[in-house]
Amino acid sequence: MTIDIPFIWVAFKEIIKALPITLILTIVPLLAGFLIGIVVALVRIYKLKYLYRIANGYVSFFRGTPIIMHIMVIYFGFPLLLDQISLRFDLGLQTNNIPIILFVLIALTLAAGSYLSEIIRSGIISVSNGQLEAAYSVGMTKFQAMIRIILPQALAQSIPNFTNIFVGFLHTSSIAFLVSQKEVTGAANIVASVNLKFLEAFIAAGIIYWGITILVEGISFLLEKKVTAYNRGGVS
Amino acid sequence: MIYLKGIKKSFNQLPVLKGINLKIEKGEVVTILGPSGSGKTTLLRCLNFLEKPNAGLVQIGNIIVDAEKATKKEMLAIRKQSAMVFQHYNLFAHKTVVENVMEGLIVAKKVKKKDARQQSERVLDKVGLSDKLDHYPSQLSGGQQQRVGIARALALNPEVILFDEPTSALDPELVGDVLSVIKSIAQEGITMVVVTHEMSFAREVSNRVLFMDEGVIVEEGTPLEIFHAAKEERTRRFLQRISGETYFLPLKEQVN
Repeated sequence: MTIDIPFIWVAFKEIIKALPITLILTIVPLLAGFLIGIVVALVRIYKLKYLYRIANGYVSFFRGTPIIMHIMVIYFGFPLLLDQISLRFDLGLQTNNIPIILFVLIALTLAAGSYLSEIIRSGIISVSNGQLEAAYSVGMTKFQAMIRIILPQALAQSIPNFTNIFVGFLHTSSIAFLVSQKEVTGAANIVASVNLKFLEAFIAAGIIYWGITILVEGISFLLEKKVTAYNRGGVS
Repeated sequence: MIYLKGIKKSFNQLPVLKGINLKIEKGEVVTILGPSGSGKTTLLRCLNFLEKPNAGLVQIGNIIVDAEKATKKEMLAIRKQSAMVFQHYNLFAHKTVVENVMEGLIVAKKVKKKDARQQSERVLDKVGLSDKLDHYPSQLSGGQQQRVGIARALALNPEVILFDEPTSALDPELVGDVLSVIKSIAQEGITMVVVTHEMSFAREVSNRVLFMDEGVIVEEGTPLEIFHAAKEERTRRFLQRISGETYFLPLKEQVN
């Protein structure tokens, strides 16, 4: 078996067309998951009645099971559930018309929410109690103190962790090809099968993932430098 | 005016305050002395409900709160009557010096941003930091940070400023700076309650000195009365231990 180096470029050009889908599958779940994460983190920190147990269960389940399983269960389970509901209430829903990407996005969002909630929670806990007391002492409510004092510091400190999660989810989005979503890995698989050049196609896909990762790490580094400038001391 | 009646506080069944009664008039500067574990910091924190007393009545200005059934709203109201200067400064780490001072004005007092900035700059000028407005706390020395802490409290123009060992975390050479700022505020007639180990400060600045031990106020009086004619044995023992001069007096006599 030989390696067809020029074909890597051919494959690259073909596969990169699927990059937007990969980015959607990464960014949308992380943004939606971020909102879930903040709510879940606050519920768990303040131990809100009942909700607290639900939040615990949610985090435990989604962190305790592989993401590929979430995608499968939601992809096969959701249409079944919707069909049942539709039948009972005579809604006339056509689950076949729901784009597959929606199921994948829901699964990834739920997973992202559980991972991000733990990052946000640890960020909040890492802000010293003195900050909260100072906020109270100038007359802030709990909510004002959280929004204006605690969360900004917690999130700034969590940037390296957010980057980790981003990179992780960028790569995890490749699972979506199992339910025939044509993202980068799916596209590579198609190019590979059609031309029977697997090595070349997946090398091309690898270059794309690596390139995006390097880019994101660079942005994260600059962002972190900017938003944690307050913490570094020294006279500017 | 501050009025405390029957303040009790326990941590895990360990009583720390055993029924404190206290009245502080407007404009008074009161220092609280006492050995560590005597409950003086807890008493100060009970005043603004950073620690919620188990029982008792707290009044600051015209807000009266029964600690046993204090609601969040009441606690907030009483906090807005006071401001606190912390041992470890507790400046908002992600905000610049001037933003630290503005924060309370904007959020709790609903002052417009422009006015808040003006007021903050004025107060920061008073504590000698008008050249550090846009620095972050991490770029300042301990003494400078504590002066920002004082400015933050002062800007709120509260009924009372609570000082929780404001100089104990500072390098000895920076203590003087901070004390002189506190002194100058005291002379403006702002009510202050100061927990401190700085005996010279208590002697020179305060109108009244409280000596606490084991969760009760053992003795109170003017600095003169406490430092030179303490009635209680416990007070005398404490002062003797803490003041270097008297401690070394017998030694000096021996040497001579």
